Amino acid sequence: MNNAALAVNPYLPQVATVLKTVQETPNIKTFQLRLDDEEAMAGFSFEPGQVGQLSVFGVGESTFVINSPPTRKEYLQFSVMRSGEVTTRLHGLVAGDKIGVRAPLGNAFPYEAMRGKDIVFVGGGIGMAPLRTLLLYMLDNRKDYGDIVLLYGARTPNDMAFKGDLPEWLGRKDISTTLTVDVESLGWEHKVGLIPNVLKEIHPNPENSVAITCGPPIMIKFTLQALQELGFQDEQIITTLERRMKCGIGICGRCNIGTSYICVDGPVYTNAQLKSLPNEM
Amino acid sequence: MSVLTGKELRIVGFLCNWCSYGGADTAGVGRFVQPTDLRIIRVPCSGRIDPLFIVKALLNGADGVLVSGCHPRDCHYSQGNFYARRRLEVLKHFLPVLGIDPARFEYTWVSASEAQRWQKVVSSFTERIHKLGPASRLENTALPDGLEKRFAAIASGELPSDGKAATRLEELKDRIHEFLPDLDIVIGWQRGFDALHNTPLFMRSAEDLEKLVWGPLNIHNTATYLPSLRGKKVGVVVKGCDSRSVVELLQEKLVDRENIVVFGMPCSGIVDLSKIDRALRERGTGIGRVQAAECGEKGVTIKAGGQEYRFAMEEVAADKCFHCEYPNAVLADHLIGNASPSSSNGKISRQLAAFDAMSLQERMAYWRSQMDRCIRCHACRNACPLCVCKDHCIAQSRDPHWISQEDTITEKLMFQVVHAVHTAGRCTECGECERACPMDIPILAMKRQMNRAIRELFEYKAGTDPEAVPPLLAFQAEEKNIHEGVL
Amino acid sequence: MTGAKFLSKEKLLDWLAELGQTRRVFMPVEEGGKIVFRPCTNGDTPALVRDASASPKGVVFPSSAELFRYTKTKARGGKSSMELKPGTEFEPALIFGTRPCGARGFTIFDRVYTGGKFNDPYYRAARENTLIVTLACEGPENTCFCNWVGSGPDDPTGSDVLATPVEGGFVLESVSERGEALLESPLLQPAEARTAEADSVKSRARAELPPARDISAAPQSIRALFDNQKFWDEVSSKCLSCGACTYLCPTCYCFTITDEDHGDSGKRLRSWDNCMSYQFSLEASGHNPRPTKAHRLRNRVGHKFSYYPQLHEGLLACCGCGRCIRSCPVSMDIREIVLDAIDRVQAKNCEVVHE
Repeated sequence: MNNAALAVNPYLPQVATVLKTVQETPNIKTFQLRLDDEEAMAGFSFEPGQVGQLSVFGVGESTFVINSPPTRKEYLQFSVMRSGEVTTRLHGLVAGDKIGVRAPLGNAFPYEAMRGKDIVFVGGGIGMAPLRTLLLYMLDNRKDYGDIVLLYGARTPNDMAFKGDLPEWLGRKDISTTLTVDVESLGWEHKVGLIPNVLKEIHPNPENSVAITCGPPIMIKFTLQALQELGFQDEQIITTLERRMKCGIGICGRCNIGTSYICVDGPVYTNAQLKSLPNEM
Repeated sequence: MSVLTGKELRIVGFLCNWCSYGGADTAGVGRFVQPTDLRIIRVPCSGRIDPLFIVKALLNGADGVLVSGCHPRDCHYSQGNFYARRRLEVLKHFLPVLGIDPARFEYTWVSASEAQRWQKVVSSFTERIHKLGPASRLENTALPDGLEKRFAAIASGELPSDGKAATRLEELKDRIHEFLPDLDIVIGWQRGFDALHNTPLFMRSAEDLEKLVWGPLNIHNTATYLPSLRGKKVGVVVKGCDSRSVVELLQEKLVDRENIVVFGMPCSGIVDLSKIDRALRERGTGIGRVQAAECGEKGVTIKAGGQEYRFAMEEVAADKCFHCEYPNAVLADHLIGNASPSSSNGKISRQLAAFDAMSLQERMAYWRSQMDRCIRCHACRNACPLCVCKDHCIAQSRDPHWISQEDTITEKLMFQVVHAVHTAGRCTECGECERACPMDIPILAMKRQMNRAIRELFEYKAGTDPEAVPPLLAFQAEEKNIHEGVL
Repeated sequence: MTGAKFLSKEKLLDWLAELGQTRRVFMPVEEGGKIVFRPCTNGDTPALVRDASASPKGVVFPSSAELFRYTKTKARGGKSSMELKPGTEFEPALIFGTRPCGARGFTIFDRVYTGGKFNDPYYRAARENTLIVTLACEGPENTCFCNWVGSGPDDPTGSDVLATPVEGGFVLESVSERGEALLESPLLQPAEARTAEADSVKSRARAELPPARDISAAPQSIRALFDNQKFWDEVSSKCLSCGACTYLCPTCYCFTITDEDHGDSGKRLRSWDNCMSYQFSLEASGHNPRPTKAHRLRNRVGHKFSYYPQLHEGLLACCGCGRCIRSCPVSMDIREIVLDAIDRVQAKNCEVVHE
């Protein structure tokens, strides 16, 4: 465990202050925050892919991936899509507001095992958030990894998050970035087409590769098919799952798929692992 | 004016935006002297006022609640206050069952220009509340001794019976057999895990039909399952009380007539397993140790712990079966056997009589003692054939936040009020809520009180006429049995 | 180890009062025809003739409890702060008169709450500070099946003291070290020959239980039936999807977390949750991985008889108390579902072999 507070009382959030918010898309907002306890902030460590529970006191908690990389420690970043009660209230927060954080929770991407391999990122919509953590981590440790391919898609240019990052990703020579939207839009200079189709066009080589995909369920379904067509084996495909969570520590009992509790055994799974679990999505 | 001096009490006022709020404003601008106890909440229309607002206020510390809207025929939305009048009048009749003095709640009409009338309404209502004093809080009430003894003195009524129940099962089976091929499912009953526990049976084949049983152990309301099976062709075997639920569901268009085939069975009363348990415990054993049971129209013979016990039906029948008005299906495609004679004699149930015999204070204390053991499993709600919001019940919604997760007696009781209010004018008193309660809390009393109010005010009985409009979905400009204007 | 002790019926209340001097004592009492665990007060007599309607789990794991309170303050200059205060400390307690199944239930909790990656400090404090004096059963009810799950009418698992009813009182045997300390009371006398009587009560109770059915194939069978929607639709047909079974169950440990806000302060509560409820797994997006009662029942039965045992060395998350059967408004029988699952898979396997 990388946070001593969780070992003492895993239900008690640490109070943090919102430093900055970015309205990414009409329904996605990014928060940068710091724990109020400077010592805890300095000692805070996590691995890419791990999640945190954000609290709006009086409303409740929700689970989000930490999408700033562990290599950049000035703040913790979360991107929140507005859909329920907690996320709606989160969207109302501004810099200076107090928030509760329980993190890090869950497992991480197998970033150690990916060393030396070519990496294919396939992200859709808010699903780009967990990929961002890993991508930035890899960029900060660039020589450890082979070729990096990034395919990021959204419904419309408006729905594309992390616009602040995109120029850098597009401009860098050491990653190959493709952006796509579902439908033709005025002023859009990148690809138009559904992610699985664009992925097939890009045609990444499965040899010594790992594909990491995250996005809405329907996109995941067809992306998995596309990856298999391209020759990726189940062990080479990694994705993340979502469920309603409460405790985040494997106790409260609702986020399981069969024997696997997504909050502690996940959210990161290989496709091979997913296939061994009951089909309850 | 005595209420202008001394300690303020907590009075909540719900005022319609168009008339009474204006009237209060006019009174203020005109410097009419008024007591200051009232805390005003402005609402768009008196029709917006959910009776639950009022109960929630009264259960959570308000000493009085005043509702004021536009005069009848003057509603900004033309009909809002007509509907409000029915709901609020029903509520007034309902409050006493909770042990709340109905005088703590009043509704009235004040227009925007009636500053003087507003002054009079506020003053006289505040004065009334001060006379009543601070309301007693549920948490602070204590149950007096000897209540059970007083209840025991209340006589029960008679059971419907014609003595021919035994022969009807084969006839029923034949009839179902005939129609089963055209139906997806037929709902009936079968023997459960022991000789006293029957359980609902979902028949899909002739083989399933063999399991069908008939008798006083068929205690479950088969109509409960109908809304969730919408879209399927469903046959349903009903007792008289179950058939009323079918009718109510049809009235509310929650099931489709063309998809339902009703097999009506004349009923001569069902048992109350809690009564059997109690009787067995008094004899040193319990319902959990029953080895065999023989159950007929006359009574039950039980073998438990090597001993045999006989109970007459009068000892163990469900309360609802005494003075049963509808032992036969009020609606059936196939009526099996001869009709059972009704045992209704116009008397109220034993349970309601017991409540009537208690003081308001005692009733509140009674609920406190009973609701304490509620585990909030919502079996009462899920067993209710008319609770069709199940998955989206306001008791479990966070927004609006009617009920909290705190397990206080007030929150538990509030849920029961939600159930009673949401089934007002719809409840057929099938008693499933109380029967389903794993903690045996007498929650049917609230619905009985509600139904008495509906009967007295609107001369209406739910689930008897598929074409009738439920009384709280209708109004009359001049209500025959509602007499307002006390303030 | 101290030998077994005898507690005479006449001294029972005195003994409970003595225990009550150092800790809160909970015991089963009758209320409205049902038996519930309540703090022992003067003059109350425990209802011991049969198992309680409610399980004793609420003593250690309350149906609603504060995780913490928060207070918001806004200082001058607009700087706000937030103060969090963890829920109140657990006062030492003792449960008297649970049956072995109820005590065993806590051991199912233990593996999840204190045996995993994370530690539940509230549960740990409550569990460590609660002693359990269990009453052995003299005979089974129709819904009892403790012997199916590896327990029995005198199973000491999870208890500190096991009390066996004998003529005129109880024979008390310590199960744990903490239980041994309880037997030092001057109100107790050496059990001597009564131990033999207690032993015969126990063996009679064991003999009275109908023979256990072999459900060792349950974990695999239920897993194998996961995609058989027809099976789950059929077995869940009559289920009302209420929470009577889960809330009465001594092993059901699932909970929810909610905030109750009161202006600038409020509390975060942890309260019992019910996997048969639609809301249990409903996501903010409106998606629900367990949309019908069939899906939810599959998870409930699966959790108890397949997932939990797969994660915990074959231990079933069921103590066989039968409350879910006894108190079900429509008399659902979980035994029947498990046996049905095993039979179906067996029948199917046989078919395959024949082919």
